[in-house]
Amino acid sequence: MSQKYDAIIIGGGHNGLINAAYLARAGKKVLVLERRYLLGGATVTEEIYPGFKYSVFSYVVSILRPEIIRDLSLPKHGLTILPLESTLTPLPNGDYLYRDGDHFRTLRDIARHSPRDAGAYDDYSREMFFMAKAVKYMLGIIPSDPTSLNPKDLMGLAGLGKHLRSLGEEKLYTLTKLMTMSAADFLEQWFESDPLKATLSASGIIGTYLGPRSPGTAYVLLHHYMGEIDGAFRAWGFQKGGTGAIVDAIAGAAREFGVEIRTDAGVTEVIVKNGRATGVVMENGDEIQADIVVSSLDPKRTFLDLVDQKYVPDDLLTAIRNFKIRGSSAKINMALDAAPDVACMPGYGPHLRGAISISPSLDYIERAYDDAKYGDFSRRPYIDMIIPSMIDPDMAPPGKHVMSCFVQYAPYKLREGTWDEKREALGDAVVNTLSEYIPNLKDIILHRQVVTPLDTERLTGLTEGNIFQGELSLSQLFFLRPVPGYAKYRTPIKNYYQCGSGTHPGGGITGAPGRLAALEILKDRS
Amino acid sequence: MAQKYDAIIIGGGHNGLVTAACLGKAGHSVLVLEQRQILGGAAATEETFPGFKMNTGAHNAGLFRSEIIAELNLRNHGLDFVESPVTAFAPQPDGRFLTMWRDPQKIRAEIGRFSEADAEKFPDFVRLVTAITGVLDDVVTSTPPKLTNNSTAELFPWLQVGLNLKRLGKHDMMEFMRVLPMTVVEFMDEWFESEVVQGVLGAAGVTGSLQGPQASGTAFVMLYHYLGAAAGSFKASRFVRGGIGQLSAALADAARGYGVEIRTGAEVAQIIVDDNQAAGVMLADGEQISARAVVSNADPRRTLFGLVGAPRLEPRLMRRVRNIRFKGTTAKINLALSNLPRFTCLEKSKIQNPKSKIYLGGHIIINPNLEYLERAYDDAKYGDFSERPYLDAVIPSVLDSSLAPDGQHVMSITMQYAPYHLRNGTWDEQREALGDKVIDTLAEYAPNLKDIILHRQVITPLDWERDYGLTEGGIFHGQMGLDQLLFMRPIAGYGQYRTPIDDLYLCGAGTHPGGGVTGAPGYNAAREVLKDLKR
Repeated sequence: MSQKYDAIIIGGGHNGLINAAYLARAGKKVLVLERRYLLGGATVTEEIYPGFKYSVFSYVVSILRPEIIRDLSLPKHGLTILPLESTLTPLPNGDYLYRDGDHFRTLRDIARHSPRDAGAYDDYSREMFFMAKAVKYMLGIIPSDPTSLNPKDLMGLAGLGKHLRSLGEEKLYTLTKLMTMSAADFLEQWFESDPLKATLSASGIIGTYLGPRSPGTAYVLLHHYMGEIDGAFRAWGFQKGGTGAIVDAIAGAAREFGVEIRTDAGVTEVIVKNGRATGVVMENGDEIQADIVVSSLDPKRTFLDLVDQKYVPDDLLTAIRNFKIRGSSAKINMALDAAPDVACMPGYGPHLRGAISISPSLDYIERAYDDAKYGDFSRRPYIDMIIPSMIDPDMAPPGKHVMSCFVQYAPYKLREGTWDEKREALGDAVVNTLSEYIPNLKDIILHRQVVTPLDTERLTGLTEGNIFQGELSLSQLFFLRPVPGYAKYRTPIKNYYQCGSGTHPGGGITGAPGRLAALEILKDRS
Repeated sequence: MAQKYDAIIIGGGHNGLVTAACLGKAGHSVLVLEQRQILGGAAATEETFPGFKMNTGAHNAGLFRSEIIAELNLRNHGLDFVESPVTAFAPQPDGRFLTMWRDPQKIRAEIGRFSEADAEKFPDFVRLVTAITGVLDDVVTSTPPKLTNNSTAELFPWLQVGLNLKRLGKHDMMEFMRVLPMTVVEFMDEWFESEVVQGVLGAAGVTGSLQGPQASGTAFVMLYHYLGAAAGSFKASRFVRGGIGQLSAALADAARGYGVEIRTGAEVAQIIVDDNQAAGVMLADGEQISARAVVSNADPRRTLFGLVGAPRLEPRLMRRVRNIRFKGTTAKINLALSNLPRFTCLEKSKIQNPKSKIYLGGHIIINPNLEYLERAYDDAKYGDFSERPYLDAVIPSVLDSSLAPDGQHVMSITMQYAPYHLRNGTWDEQREALGDKVIDTLAEYAPNLKDIILHRQVITPLDWERDYGLTEGGIFHGQMGLDQLLFMRPIAGYGQYRTPIDDLYLCGAGTHPGGGVTGAPGYNAAREVLKDLKR
């Protein structure tokens, strides 16, 4: 046993690194331990096929908190987000819906499908803008415990109440609806044309094991509206060099604050003495001591794997076992010999620099969910596809391309067979579905990587391959995330903290859990 | 205009009658106008086939509020309940069956036949359900607060709710907040491993909504149906002696005792609005009657669009009313039977009439598991009625022989899912196909059923709308989804039984707390109307 640290962070994903950077910035001596050979967790770029860089898991960014970008001077360390300019929804009948940065062109295209929808589109966008602004407040606060009479909690609740009241009655009603409705029901209040409703609803199902008609998905929709790039809401972007470069930037900032980072350094156990965490045991048997241990792993790993269960109270164990963390998405990454040719919009064009969404109708997505509900992957899945090399040519050799396809639904628990048996069948289903819209696709595939939920779990350690470290459902949000009574990043073990997406405010590359956890830890230490 | 009343109640459903009686009791002159020839709305008993008294709509009065019974002295007006020792009997496709008894000890033993682990957990489950429904109990009889600008007096009842919640202790209080928005599948999975137990307990969660058991908020709907249930029994369940129409009759009798005037066959064509203020009503025959307050028992959209007129609402509110989700999804099949159905599972267990009769006195549930229910929903999601429907059947004549001729029976089957919006054809074309589907399904468990049917009545969502005035056939006057509850019910901003039109009130199931034969909306509405009449 050699050096002693103020804090050890288990897991070098973006939340772990942000947590480390904030602690080090406050003068702590911090060590980050990452099990894999590279940092990033689910935010990595790897050259899986020579010359082609895959953003293996997470592939777009927008909800990274601006205060983190500022506090850690991330642009200085290489954060460069290139805008994704458009969303193309190809339709089975050869038509399409195309929305891009040209507002009036977008409205005209929506109007082709429904003039009424074109009329409602601006009002809808404005409403979501305000709602996202309203909810963003909650992304920046520690969730108060409503059952507690502690002055801090009461103050927190009063602050939240004041914030909510300041929104005014109308906005509060809309917020209530967004918190409780299904994405489909919510959107049907605004729109009638299927491609628009379906494509918008897709943000409501990402990472969940729910269909667009399931209540609760309107909130997930809103969660994805909280993105902000240079102050522009609902802007999605692509990090130059792939999502892994975001983590490189954060790691760069952390190192500048003095954080020590080790890769190939898996932790097997948190050492607990007299009810306090005192350090960790490594896979190679080494022990490292620290005053504080912070887990950026998901709640199941944090409470069930890393610590001896005798230190965890029974009701917490039950609650953690009941925590919903069902994996539902897959990722297909491909190396392409040439640019894909989209049948509804042939040739090379700006549409290839945006997202292509296979979401022709609400029923289409809902049926994709129906398959998954009973333990099959969707025969005709929802796919969100981008071609990073179109935005950042460094991602692939000249003239060649990489393609990132986010796929739902692929349930972690299959009714029949295993993912090791079904992996390529899923890949085929995705390629076949895409080929209906991109006829030349099969001829240009040089390499294909199918990342099933099982693969995500194996590679990143995310339980069940759930990209949010636990579903964003009403009973798992705010003071209930991850579980009641432990929503403030603390655990029943003294000096042992949580900082992953399984904590408030949840998943996506926001960095908010890592930052808020650091602020709480620093409060305890002062 | 004819005689001026303090209040006119449009619609003589059970909620309208509760409001009328409460206002009458407070000394106001009240007139109830019911469009049909009989009272009760969807809580009526009708002789649709000679000699058989059928609960055409609702049949279970387990949720009816005891404070209303006491306050209106309904027992003296002929209200009497019958309770079966069996609350639910659930035959399974594999020939087994689960019986929920009113006696918790017996349920525990019964569940043990399916899973010992579940039986062991059952008392804890009952404890939690009791704790949660205990808090909900005060919620349903309180007027929802406004989101902003509440007076202290308005918040007072909620102080009690808050105190009750606090009294649960930290753990149960968190559970209360965590469980209500959950899906019934998640809730059941957390507690039970036997899919049979899950299927029987969880089925109530989808009542009246076009949602499967994997929809969040179904745990709330399930618990709503356990309000007032005997500890551990399968949801709140009891029948009214003489049929549920006797409840409406008792309410009407009590109301008349307080001087309330009730007219049947009196269809209101329009609410007379003068300068955004309700002044009275106009009947279909042109008669106009004025009143200080008009209270509508009709659903919110029918009231505000049908009787007031959408153009009278500002566009923002018009949109809200238009966006209320009704999505009727429930069908009802009423049967006159020459004999009792014989269930194969009971016969195999050598339980025969008269001993078998006891099993048929409660709810007969066909829902082998929650996946069955979810699949039944899948059909409806795309506009078909369920290929394998969920059925909740009762034979009230088992306990109450006055409902049918000697040895014969009436049976009511509630079926889900039958979506109002069909993808193919109309309900007029599909009605009998639906009836056949339900009978075929039940006959798989009770093969003699087809031979004993003397008469069959099939009520589709379209029939609910046409004959009972329920928009889109929504039996709850608007689904009880999380976004259509409390201060969001019937529409955001009008959760206090008042409407955008002055002196026009709502008192039906479309208002807080919602559907079912509870009387609570009518009771709460009366309290609010009284406050305003005093001014």
